[in-house]
Amino acid sequence: MNNQPGSSILEVEGLNVSYGSFKAVKNVSFNVRAGEIFGLLGPNGAGKTSTLSAVEGLLKPQSGVITVAGYDIKKQPLHARASMGVQLQATSFQPELTIAEIIKLYAGIYGVPLTAEKLAAILQDIKLEESATKRFGQLSGGQQQRISLVISTIHDPALVLLDEPTSGLDPQSRRQLWERIEGIREKGHGVLLTTHSMEEAEAVCDRVAIIDHGSVIIIDTPQIIIERHRNDPAVITASRKGKITLEDVFIGLTGRTVRA
Amino acid sequence: METIVPKTSAVLSSLLRADFTTQWRNRRSSVLILLVPVVILISWKGLISMVGGPFILSSCITVGLIAIGLMGYSNAIARDRDKGIFQRLRVTPVPSWAIMMSRLIVQLVMIMLLTAIVFIAGYYFDGIRISAGGYALTFFVAIIGGALYLGLGQLIVGLLMSAETVNSTTRLVYFIFIMVGMVGGLLIENKSLKNIIQWSPYGSVKDILSASMEPSKWSNHTTMALLATIAYAIVFSFLGIKKFKWNSK
Repeated sequence: MNNQPGSSILEVEGLNVSYGSFKAVKNVSFNVRAGEIFGLLGPNGAGKTSTLSAVEGLLKPQSGVITVAGYDIKKQPLHARASMGVQLQATSFQPELTIAEIIKLYAGIYGVPLTAEKLAAILQDIKLEESATKRFGQLSGGQQQRISLVISTIHDPALVLLDEPTSGLDPQSRRQLWERIEGIREKGHGVLLTTHSMEEAEAVCDRVAIIDHGSVIIIDTPQIIIERHRNDPAVITASRKGKITLEDVFIGLTGRTVRA
Repeated sequence: METIVPKTSAVLSSLLRADFTTQWRNRRSSVLILLVPVVILISWKGLISMVGGPFILSSCITVGLIAIGLMGYSNAIARDRDKGIFQRLRVTPVPSWAIMMSRLIVQLVMIMLLTAIVFIAGYYFDGIRISAGGYALTFFVAIIGGALYLGLGQLIVGLLMSAETVNSTTRLVYFIFIMVGMVGGLLIENKSLKNIIQWSPYGSVKDILSASMEPSKWSNHTTMALLATIAYAIVFSFLGIKKFKWNSK
């Protein structure tokens, strides 16, 4: 596995996903590099979750090739899944298990030896050392996200997939999670995240892809996307405070209509 | 850096530890599942002289097997599917079959526990004694009977998506089996109706359990009942696995 900074960790080529006659993802291609946070943005129903689910191996695409750390998700699914860490949008763990038991379970699943000292260090790192015997449902939203994030990175994966990781968090928790996500990047992991927050995308993503009606409209750094579209009439109309933001460009490119 | 896929045995061991812990923390519902057969066993003490010990023991084990397959297994699967617990596991390097295998092993242990408890309660409360061979064969046959009800539970979670619907359906099916199987088996005189009950999932399992307690009385009819049980288990499991979806959304 090539984990050098800038090398491609995730390759998605010509991805197509359909539900019956409805084409949710149409010929989507992009890549995520090591040491990069890549944002997948789009309105509701644009195809983000379907794309992510295909990468996670939760649904079978009609066509296209997905490789994670060089492993084809169809041909070597276990290797591909062992190379990625996933934080799902609505993560739930067995409600009967304590936080310590959940971490032990996933460490075992990923084949990570976990001593009592290492477990204590993990809990201390996410400031949950006193919650080891609590159940997942007893934690706050921010604490739950920290647990989910630590579990998705417990095996030091090449690629980390985060599906709307800061959804529903207060500003403090969100900032703290951003720092943790940036910490993952500093370690050389590739991060693919979906978000509805353009502020988040602008703040943490190195590159973003805007996807709408199942197709990728644009892929670039947030700054270049803003520069390229700052004079578009639809973007200027969408601008609320004079300064053009990624959200203005997003609204300008995907329209003002609220999606179901 | 080479990606290491953990050994399936290590993964299964982690899953088993978690699933047994979950079962232990849900011990109240497990106790209720095990308590019903014991209550029946004690309350039917007066019938032993009429129908015989093996009939009573086999009826109680059958009721327990129905509860394990329908109330225990299927409701737990439906809940975990609804909460996204399976989806979380499926994005890890765990083969899907290992997730289910771990759940089934826990239920197999429950089946063994149920059989042992019914034997112990039958011995102490009702004074029912069978041969050592009978005890051993019954444990083996209880697993086959349990497979039928686990298959039926799998079929229900395969056909129904919502955890609430699964819960209400399994309760209804459990009630029907109890009423038709136990009460019907004892009180109904109509021959064709008795035949239907005898070859139903309830009747087949009860018959093989009853015969396994007295191996000398194993007959052609018992062999046919065993084949019927295996056929039910295969058909229910096949359809249940085929129709099963890991995500209820």
